[in-house]
Amino acid sequence: MKKDRQPSVLSGENAAAKILSKPQSRRKFLLKTGGAVAAGAFGAVPLRGWAADPVNIGALYPTTGSMAQIGVGCVAAAKLAVDMVNEAGGIKSLGGAKLNLIVSDVQSDTTVTRTETDRLITGNKLSAIHGCFASALTLIASQVAERAKVPLITGSSSDQLNKNLSYTFTPFARASQFAQAQLQMAKLVGDKPKVAVIFENTAFGTSTSNGLKEQAPGEGVEIVMFEPYSAGFTDASPLINKVKASGANALFSVSYLNDLILIVRTVKQVGLDIAINGGSGGFVIPDFYKNVGKLAEGLQGVAHWNHDMDDNAQKVNVEYKKRTGDFLFEYAGGLVAQTFMLADALERAASPDPVKVREALSTLDVSSGYAAMAPGGKVKFGPDGKNVYGRPIGVQWQNGDLASIFPKEFARAPMIKS
Amino acid sequence: MLETVAQAVINGLLIGGIYALVSIGVTLIFGVVKIVNFAQGEFVMIGMYLSFYLATQFGIDPIVSLVVTMPVLFVVGVLVQHFLIRRVLGPNDMPQIFLTFALSLLLLNLALMLFSANYRTVHTSYSDEAFHLGGLYIPVAKLIAFVVAMILSGALWVFLHTTDLGKAMRAASQNRDVATLMGINPNRVFCVALGIALALAGAAGSLLMPFYSAYPFVGQVFVLMAFVAVVLGTLGNVIGALIASLMMGIAESLGIQYVGADSGLIVVFGMLLLTLAFKPNGLGGGRVR
Repeated sequence: MKKDRQPSVLSGENAAAKILSKPQSRRKFLLKTGGAVAAGAFGAVPLRGWAADPVNIGALYPTTGSMAQIGVGCVAAAKLAVDMVNEAGGIKSLGGAKLNLIVSDVQSDTTVTRTETDRLITGNKLSAIHGCFASALTLIASQVAERAKVPLITGSSSDQLNKNLSYTFTPFARASQFAQAQLQMAKLVGDKPKVAVIFENTAFGTSTSNGLKEQAPGEGVEIVMFEPYSAGFTDASPLINKVKASGANALFSVSYLNDLILIVRTVKQVGLDIAINGGSGGFVIPDFYKNVGKLAEGLQGVAHWNHDMDDNAQKVNVEYKKRTGDFLFEYAGGLVAQTFMLADALERAASPDPVKVREALSTLDVSSGYAAMAPGGKVKFGPDGKNVYGRPIGVQWQNGDLASIFPKEFARAPMIKS
Repeated sequence: MLETVAQAVINGLLIGGIYALVSIGVTLIFGVVKIVNFAQGEFVMIGMYLSFYLATQFGIDPIVSLVVTMPVLFVVGVLVQHFLIRRVLGPNDMPQIFLTFALSLLLLNLALMLFSANYRTVHTSYSDEAFHLGGLYIPVAKLIAFVVAMILSGALWVFLHTTDLGKAMRAASQNRDVATLMGINPNRVFCVALGIALALAGAAGSLLMPFYSAYPFVGQVFVLMAFVAVVLGTLGNVIGALIASLMMGIAESLGIQYVGADSGLIVVFGMLLLTLAFKPNGLGGGRVR
């Protein structure tokens, strides 16, 4: 029955078309000829320079939600890095192809990260992705990228990113290395460090603090207090009261920005004489100093990148400062280096094909230029996608700026005892 | 040992003062207008941002900015009652719940849009200072906040018990129909109740600003504690909410000290559960004061 009906409907439409055929014919003609002209114009592009098709790089960052502060800075740095590559002539082996950054907001949310990564990959012809700042988000994006066979390069520090993933590359220090550096820094402050570890009861807090706990005996550091707290508290006083009672002389706080601000202020109010190491993340961004002010002076932390590391880093820092008004912070700075690593891989792959880019990344070996802008100055990926030369850098707030102070060979300023 | 306990009690009492300002607002609205204001925390947030901008743009101390935030939020409260809540007051509770909940979501997302998710702090000369007594310390900013919170609560109590309008509000909270028969204009009373409740939220915002960061979600942190305090202190009971808030502050602080820093709230919710089981009307004993 349906078959009988369909033609009748169609013929009805045809009838309508016939009635309207006269006024439409001119328009149709124009459309068709216009289309032909347009097709010719587009066809001419590849003839003139087919290789100049831009290379798409996906950028996954939380530009809204609780992590937006850092995400927005990352996007600014990603744009700066792409401009730098393009101004230097783009990818020469691809006929000077320009990098084209496609930014996607993962909204500080794990579910959104999954769908956004999927959408970014299926909706665009990507050569590679970088992102997502927070390890919890990067872990999800890396799974999606693995399945889609698109290489993902990230500054996220979770050691889990180096397990069973062949498309994920981590050019910077791992969380376990951060813990070790923090413990070694505690020994700079006093011969017999008694450390209180307080950490927010989230995946980030627990994994980082467990790393500290496991490595403390090996480094000869005594942990006198090991306490999870619920993130987003109203008052840090009870917690600091507890730290005071523990008799610790060094405090490691594994916290995001807001809790850390309260902790630092409360320590000052109590009048507690204790060396604070705020770790990385929210501690090493300009906003921390803006919120805490002079109290931040002398506080120590660890980072996978710092803007005073070498000449190249300082050059990029000046440019970033010009654009945003703030210094180039850890994650964003590392991101500039990552973009140059991708450019290096694209250059050698001579193809925008993500699988070939992955191949080229796995054989990356640089020790100069912006791509080597990492503590130690060398980047070469092992079979697990980890930079075999990756090392963290110890930093300290000095005069409103972050100075590299540890280890000795990376130190750009002497440590001040607070 | 004794020093640690004493310090924990002081810490709890001081933060309890802030909980009190938020919970008194919630309980006042519930007592008089008979609706649960889910957006109370967002008004604290608005108070914080107002104080923040007054401090950064005009150099007004956050505590002093009370004289601006309280009247502004009073007016907002009157407008919210007159243009929004008045329309949904009726035998059906559902629209009221949805209204204040929607208001909360709207304000939250508006704040995200206008102020972004960044944390904003105001640094005053007394922000990091504290009085030291023996081995104990009392942070100046929190002490000021606590004292002002107690003064405002006391003033509210005096208002409710000595003025005609205050008495009318208590009458309306005891029996709305009889109060109307006695010639009390319910909408006027409701407008004032909303105004006072929001002014208290604004005060909480200003008092928090010297030692806490403003961000769009900040209200959610305090409103949860406020709801527990309101139930603990008997719904609609202003003095009950005040006492319950202080108790909760102390319970939370002692919980962090002796149970664990991630389980301070366990003590608070344990208290709530026991109260609901044995005194379902709350510690106020069911009498609405």
